[in-house]
Amino acid sequence: MRASDLIHLLPELILLGGAALVLLLDIVWLRRAEERRRQLLPYVALGVLLVAALGLIPGGGDNVSVATMLVFDPFALFFKVFALLAVALIVLLATPYMQTRTPFSGEFYALLLATALAICLAVSASNLVMIYLSMEFLSITSYVLAGYFRQDRKSGEAALKYFLYGATASAVMLYGMSLLYGATGTTDLAGLVAGLSSGAAGQSAWLVTPAIILLLAGFGFKASLVPFHQWAPDTYEGAPTPVTAFLSTASKATGFAILMRVFLVGMGAASMASQWISLLVALSVVTMTLGNLTALRQTNIKRLLAYSSIAQAGYILIGVVAVVSDSTRIFTGINGVLIYLLAYLFTNVGAFAVVTAIEDATGKLEIKDYSGLVRRSPWLAGLLFIFLISLTGVPPTGGFLGKFFVFGAAVQTRMWVLLAIAAVNSVVAAFYYLNIVRYMFFVPAAEEGEPIRVGRPLQGALAITAVVTVLLGLIPGPVILWASESARSLLLALR
Amino acid sequence: MNQFPLLSVITLLPLVGGLILLALPGARLQKWWALGVSLATFVISCLLFVWWKAGEAGMQFVERLPWVPQFNIQYYLGVDGLSLFLVLLTTFLTVLVILFSWEGVEQQLKPFLALLLLLETGMIGVFVALDLVLFYAFWELSLIPMYFLIGGWGDAHGTYNFLGRTLSWRVYAALKFFLYTFAGSALMLVAILVLYIRGGTFDLLALQQIGLAPNLQFWLFLAFGLAFAIKVPLFPFHTWLPDAHVEAPTAGSVILASVLLKMGTYGFVRFCLPLFPDASRQLGPWIAALAIVGILYGALVALVQKDVKSLVAYSSVAHLGFVMLGIFALNAQGVAGATLQMVNHGLSTGALFLMVGMLYNRRHTRLLADFGGLWKQIPIYGFLFLIVALSSAGLPGLNGFVGEFNILLGAFQMNRAYAVFGTLGIILAAWYLLVAVRQMLHGPLNKAENMAVRDLNVREIVTLAPIILLFFVIGLFPNLFFDKINPSAQAVVDALNRPQPIVSMAVDSER
Amino acid sequence: MQQAIFIILALLTLGAALMTVITRNLLRAALWLVATFFGIAAIFILLRAEFLAVAQILVYVGAISTLIIFAIMLSRGIMDPDQVRFNGQWGVVGGFAALLFVVLAVIVTRVPWPAAAGGAPVGDAPADAIARLGAAFVGPYAIPFEVASVLLVVAMIGAIIIARERE
Repeated sequence: MRASDLIHLLPELILLGGAALVLLLDIVWLRRAEERRRQLLPYVALGVLLVAALGLIPGGGDNVSVATMLVFDPFALFFKVFALLAVALIVLLATPYMQTRTPFSGEFYALLLATALAICLAVSASNLVMIYLSMEFLSITSYVLAGYFRQDRKSGEAALKYFLYGATASAVMLYGMSLLYGATGTTDLAGLVAGLSSGAAGQSAWLVTPAIILLLAGFGFKASLVPFHQWAPDTYEGAPTPVTAFLSTASKATGFAILMRVFLVGMGAASMASQWISLLVALSVVTMTLGNLTALRQTNIKRLLAYSSIAQAGYILIGVVAVVSDSTRIFTGINGVLIYLLAYLFTNVGAFAVVTAIEDATGKLEIKDYSGLVRRSPWLAGLLFIFLISLTGVPPTGGFLGKFFVFGAAVQTRMWVLLAIAAVNSVVAAFYYLNIVRYMFFVPAAEEGEPIRVGRPLQGALAITAVVTVLLGLIPGPVILWASESARSLLLALR
Repeated sequence: MNQFPLLSVITLLPLVGGLILLALPGARLQKWWALGVSLATFVISCLLFVWWKAGEAGMQFVERLPWVPQFNIQYYLGVDGLSLFLVLLTTFLTVLVILFSWEGVEQQLKPFLALLLLLETGMIGVFVALDLVLFYAFWELSLIPMYFLIGGWGDAHGTYNFLGRTLSWRVYAALKFFLYTFAGSALMLVAILVLYIRGGTFDLLALQQIGLAPNLQFWLFLAFGLAFAIKVPLFPFHTWLPDAHVEAPTAGSVILASVLLKMGTYGFVRFCLPLFPDASRQLGPWIAALAIVGILYGALVALVQKDVKSLVAYSSVAHLGFVMLGIFALNAQGVAGATLQMVNHGLSTGALFLMVGMLYNRRHTRLLADFGGLWKQIPIYGFLFLIVALSSAGLPGLNGFVGEFNILLGAFQMNRAYAVFGTLGIILAAWYLLVAVRQMLHGPLNKAENMAVRDLNVREIVTLAPIILLFFVIGLFPNLFFDKINPSAQAVVDALNRPQPIVSMAVDSER
Repeated sequence: MQQAIFIILALLTLGAALMTVITRNLLRAALWLVATFFGIAAIFILLRAEFLAVAQILVYVGAISTLIIFAIMLSRGIMDPDQVRFNGQWGVVGGFAALLFVVLAVIVTRVPWPAAAGGAPVGDAPADAIARLGAAFVGPYAIPFEVASVLLVVAMIGAIIIARERE
């Protein structure tokens, strides 16, 4: 590693420094300051994220590998921008939410910046050691965030469940990594594919499939794929709502990013690809079906969105399994995954922003508490409606664009059965999304309520997410280009 | 044709008007604004008729802009003889429906009117879109306002237990409407993607030239056809329709029956026949048979209804069966007749729903048994209702006759048995409509509630008069319409019988 | 010789793991868990995977165990020695663990592992190994090492949050 490599690490360094800055500010300057000055903290965090985004410019995506540990390619750049955007939105969501709930919010924003750092490292990691460490970094930060309200039993339960599942999943994944290392003598992804396709151990039927399964425990945990999803409902329900929004979008996307990089780069040879593809097809089917069927029965909005998020992960997997190596195609599978994840980020964070607003005003989280919302706060009801139809996949929204691309990729690779199951699933999903719409618009409220007041930062988050959700459907061109370019660097590895 | 973007204006004006409406204060201003917007849209759409180039089969008023160039998705609009009158029907009926809704919608008039205008954009878009993605977007767009109209303003009575949830009946109907249509369109989306991967474009006209293998055509026809068949609805996919119709507010029922259902039949003509000619010939007889089942089934069920709105709803199943029969006669006469009949059904069923709604606003009941002898009390209403019923029954001289006659001629050329059963359907239609007329208008005026009913007011007469005028115009001068429909219908049939180039442009995908 | 050391270490590790599961006191369980982690780290050293050993100690002993112990100490009620040790699922869990063991054993024995993959020749002096470890931390493993230390900081912040006085 040379000093000149540091230019590529600029965003990471900024985030690290920023997190420290937030902590220090909190302790030395703001803790004893009056309320108004303390409210500046989230804006400091936003500023750090903005500077980090600027830091991406000099060394962002020019396909450089640093110390064989990190690679700075357009694929990683996509997810770094994604992470910074996501965390910025979460900060906006959290601003009024944290203010009313705890006097200690300094660590919260510092930890959020740390998650952005962890994601930036994880999506760049090109070595199993680095992948493991950065995933663990993200996990530990997330455990703490999930359990941030120590006095709240549900928050504690959320953190504990998340922690227990996470620790187990990462241990299992580590075992899988050790098998790969044992067979090839390298932890470098590019070296892995060479070692696996040449050595006797790599050819063994007893190695590759078990290793894939063990690795999937770790990736599937992050991406909340069935059967590694069991933590999700309780954690989503109990964690502070902005953290739930984070877990269901940015954290999930990181799981997918690592999964794609490890499988496409580390196991991209055709003989191995067929193995993980067939495994992932099965996972996709059970994930979307189980997620949707369970979502049908939920009465708590956070749990419902948790199961919906599991189901969405199933759709996203379709893009991964429908991957084609020819990057000149319109549908490469991977670009579908990127588009889907981006659309899902804005849609789902938007939905959680509405949930946060309502929770802030009423403290309520049951779907039936949304009765008559259209009378009480027509704007919130209308916005949530936009997010819900985007989740359903109705044009002109980002959700439709994502479905369009992953379905298109599956059509291209002729996965008819998978498509049929996905189509049925999207109808089932429409049912429970519409159920929320039904309460908001058609069921009169039990009691008259005041209009819900929404703080400025949350208004900003709502406006950004709603506008982008619709724009992605109306003017999809730039995003399609960006995602396709970003996917290309990864597809080159696939043979 | 680099000229005034007429179709865009017609399509988007209601949307823009609807959004502005949301910001307007005061019920009076809102009513006038909505009426003004819809009226302006209608007047502008009449320019299509005026500027129409006679005798041309192809698309007119074409607008074409790249939308997602990387992907070859276009903003591509155009009308031909098959869609022209459906566009006019939509703009025309929206005006009347808004006028009708000036009274009778007790609460939340503003969103109601805005949704009607939004719906108008969706429906016109479906009829003029020539790019599959654009079409799909409008197709789904039309779904959402209708869902809200039924669920939010439908008649509230009764509940239904569905998957452990207690839904009020109108919400159940709205949900059923949405889910049925959405299920159909999910498969259609997959089929659109298959076409794109085969042809490299979403351009409808270009895709007609690529020549698909018959086997693939078969599956794609089914995928598109299911979406359309649910919308029509073709027997046995009709079960959502009675619920939706009966529960919807009058304006919703009118739009639903008159225009939304036509999206299904139009889809068959515009997409299934030209894109999948071999499959159409292969499956045509089966679909025609289902259409006949629908005609007879709809008529027989209509005959035993106690609620006059249900009666009209089931009559729609029967009438749409006629349209389907005409389309799948697969000859020019049948297709042209079906196209005109779509408009006819829109007018007469629309008028029926309007009149049922007018009566309902007065009496708050729709049961046939609650009426009787109304002619004596409200003669204007009675007279107009009789004309509308006769139009719906296909009396010669009125509009219904022209369409049905052509459909039967077309069916006769294909298969005589189909024509015979079709004729039977006409007789049944006359029967159930006259039963309704007799029970409502004739007999003794012996119920106290009926003795206080007011006759139609000026606004209501103004609402109905244009429709009834059109009954006669179409009935007496059908060639005014067939002149424009025929070339396009002929072109569809010609393309159907032309041997297809089996040059697959498919870029087969291997991993 | 090496074989003997391995067997001893393995038995110690397994014993510690067993104690983690069966002890009644949750805090003791956590401490036994730390012992288990150390045992595994020792095995890593034996296998000449010094970096892994250090990472193991840093991440598991340093970060995760700290969190666990803090969490236990600050949660009342779960330190009760009368807690039930086994719930109804222990049979299932045991079965799965046995199954997993069999599968892993099969994998380890069936795969033709390349001999001494990437390992240094046997018989290195320990001092040399430490020097190599040091070099590795500032050389190729500089970034992972730094990440591990940031991770520890985050874990400490987490511990502070858990330990904070009532709000």
